Amino acid sequence: MPSAPPRATFPYPIVEATLDNGLAVVAVPLDTPGLAAHYVAVRTGSRNEVEPGLSGFAHFFEHMMFRGTPRFTPERYNDVLKRLGADGNAFTTDDWTCYHVTAAASALATVMDLEADRFMNLRYGVEAFQKEAGAVLGEYNKNASIPINALVEKLHDVAYTTHTYKHTTMGFLRDIENMPRQYDHSLAFFERWYRADNAALVVAGDVVPDEVFALARRYFGPWRPGVAPFTTPREPEQAGERRAHIPWASPTLPLLALAYHAPAFDPDDADGRALDVVAQAYFAPTSPLYRQLVLERQWVEGIGAGAEDHRDPGLFLVIARVKEAERVDDVRAAIEGALAGAATVPLPADRLLAVSSRIRYGFLSGLQTPDQVASAVCHFIQLTGATASIDRSFATLDAIGAADVVRAADRAFAAGNRTVVTLLPA
Amino acid sequence: MRTVILPSGGTPFISFRLMFETGSADDPPGREGLAALTAGLLAEGGTRALTYEQLLDALYPMAAGIGVQVDREATVVYGTVHRDHLDAYYDLLRQVVLEPRFDAKDFLRIRDDQRNAIVAGLRAADDEALGKEALASMLYPGQPYGRPAEGTVAGIDAIGGADPASFHRERYARDRMIVGLAGAVPDPFVRRVLDDLAALPESGAPRGTGPRPDAGDGLTALVVTKPARACAISLGHDLPVTRAADDFYPLFVAGSYFGEHRTFNGVLMTKMRSDRGLNYGDYAYVESFVQDGSSTFPLPNVPRRRQAFTIWIRPVAPENAHFAIRLAVREMRRLVRDGLPAQAFEETKEFLASYSRLWVQTPSRRLGYAMDGAFYGRLGLVEELAARLPGMTRDEVNAAVRRHLDPERLRIAIVAGPEHAGAIAEALASDAPSPIVYATDTRPDVIEEDCEVAVEPLALDRARCRIVPADAMFER
Repeated sequence: MPSAPPRATFPYPIVEATLDNGLAVVAVPLDTPGLAAHYVAVRTGSRNEVEPGLSGFAHFFEHMMFRGTPRFTPERYNDVLKRLGADGNAFTTDDWTCYHVTAAASALATVMDLEADRFMNLRYGVEAFQKEAGAVLGEYNKNASIPINALVEKLHDVAYTTHTYKHTTMGFLRDIENMPRQYDHSLAFFERWYRADNAALVVAGDVVPDEVFALARRYFGPWRPGVAPFTTPREPEQAGERRAHIPWASPTLPLLALAYHAPAFDPDDADGRALDVVAQAYFAPTSPLYRQLVLERQWVEGIGAGAEDHRDPGLFLVIARVKEAERVDDVRAAIEGALAGAATVPLPADRLLAVSSRIRYGFLSGLQTPDQVASAVCHFIQLTGATASIDRSFATLDAIGAADVVRAADRAFAAGNRTVVTLLPA
Repeated sequence: MRTVILPSGGTPFISFRLMFETGSADDPPGREGLAALTAGLLAEGGTRALTYEQLLDALYPMAAGIGVQVDREATVVYGTVHRDHLDAYYDLLRQVVLEPRFDAKDFLRIRDDQRNAIVAGLRAADDEALGKEALASMLYPGQPYGRPAEGTVAGIDAIGGADPASFHRERYARDRMIVGLAGAVPDPFVRRVLDDLAALPESGAPRGTGPRPDAGDGLTALVVTKPARACAISLGHDLPVTRAADDFYPLFVAGSYFGEHRTFNGVLMTKMRSDRGLNYGDYAYVESFVQDGSSTFPLPNVPRRRQAFTIWIRPVAPENAHFAIRLAVREMRRLVRDGLPAQAFEETKEFLASYSRLWVQTPSRRLGYAMDGAFYGRLGLVEELAARLPGMTRDEVNAAVRRHLDPERLRIAIVAGPEHAGAIAEALASDAPSPIVYATDTRPDVIEEDCEVAVEPLALDRARCRIVPADAMFER
């Protein structure tokens, strides 16, 4: 293996510090005149929902973080952001929860004061809690007409038996409907996970790192550390293919999904990055499979694949929108054939080079705004706890050879490791 | 041909936007969907020299794409590329616009996709989008503004293999074009682009007169039925005011106050979601708004000759649909009657003055906004607001609201399960009380207001309340 330091992929300077309470603070100065993005990543997501009946709670709790503190009622919080003309929101994933505000860089102290306050002093009553549960059910309802959501929900439910990736971030419907009765759990949830040493603050934009750190110490310094130790239940190795089918009440194109358990994200793991190469080389619009299924035979409207970047072992997913129900089996056979090919036939060098270039420029083209940069940095921090994992993972990608791809594919794409879910008009 | 060039050295990316003033408004009768299909064949159909497969191969290592966006009035071919690949990328873009391939096999594939976007997409798998298009169908019945840019099922089926090439020849002309370039573009490169585009015809086929709104007075409802857990609702009426008119800008402030997209600022969001937990979100718009991906901001380059005032109520439980509609109508009546409160007016102005700067964070978006300004004969929206907000008075805003917004002309589109549709229609038409029951604690002042909302009269004639199955929508 080469011993030279990894070639830098991330195109901007990253300056970091850790506060005494364990909060990681990252500043990324950018040439974005007058603007800055303020991102707080809490390393808790639906992965942490181990108690039965409480799936979806991390996402619900994200909503509650907008329900006020003694200093900033929800109305006052919103008024401050409104006066700044800020764009603020939050989202939750399997592994983490993100709170973000983009505003004038000159407003950074105000934003940080406002944001830090709710991580330390959140307070809401039962009524606000229950109203927000209504909004979460509304969110589930708005998603419910979209077949791909049902497909992904079922896929995780079947592919996992034990690990919390079994449920989606929204949670099971029965648990969402029961949320109004879980006020006490919400208080415990905050106590357990919303701790400084379970979070990172990333500020990207027209900022000076030392000023960011000084503000972070002032506003986030009092945040208590002490996140509870936590291990997710270990998913046993899958022993045999699993299948499920969803009859769909509305007209839809048939959907076909294949999933294989894949390694957890590790920037130094050649197998993981090799699966990223597989997704591109065998499923991108330039792949033989895409040409055959989408462009030539036109059996499939669209097809995509990818390995989830997850803290625990996630899934390598292939999803196809098939045009006719009679073709679903043929499409499935073609996908399995392509994956078998990946596990036996080495990729040509020029194809490997094109894939590597595609992944690199794809990453760079998604780093144009303070939001995009802060979000990308958060993604790697929540996965690994370290920003160095960005360049390390691209260095690992650069070193991937054809033999690495074959080996990783051979490990991942065994029939016994496969889950197949179909969705067809009822 | 108009040009908008925004040179900037601070980014390694170059953005292209080639906007043609043609869109589904120019679809020939009987072949609804032709503008979108033509554009689809540009993006996914190769060039005279390159098959689509070869085009994909060439673009792939650059991680750059050539996209198209088609709406009623505008078609945009756009893309962004890293400077490392500028020359190679531009050569492909040039071929796509000037020398599209119009291959028969690509034609069949894209026509199929477009048909499926209606049959298996819009009508089946996205209730909120269906609600919005159903509303458009009420505002402009039987016209291009009243159906999705993808067209109708019968229209798409009737499009022949030679039609896209004709449409391209007749409509992609220099007098219809705004050329936009942003990023690190040296002058000689700009000249080269403009020289190349001179190969397009000088002028295009004449355009139609534009949409004619449904003129009927009184509230009107359309319940579109399909399997649905909850009811997606859109309300609105035609608006003859666009960014070209001075009145647009005060109306824009009022729209932000009433329901700024995906924020907690708006009256509707506060009343419906925050106070009552009715649903996920509630917003209002004074012009066509298409969200750009997962961001909060609208796509640029969706200009229109006519706009609509719309309210988007995200799905509510069927038993609350009548109440939610009443609440929205009541708040709109209050807005028109009372105008914006003084403090809220100042806050909204302050908000927009800063927030609007966030709309133009990338060279491509900055470019899109500037080109929209060119379409309307104005500066970009961000610059217009910056110039107008400081001197804008509350009286101007309230007067513009009274002049142009009319709650008694609202059209109401509701997507509902067939088992609920009849009851919703009857309830709307009878003005029967629609009390709301909460499973959760609720503030006394909210409960008190609910008593009034529950009997807010809609005066909606039963004859003006239709029920239509989703699979009959946009069929022809």
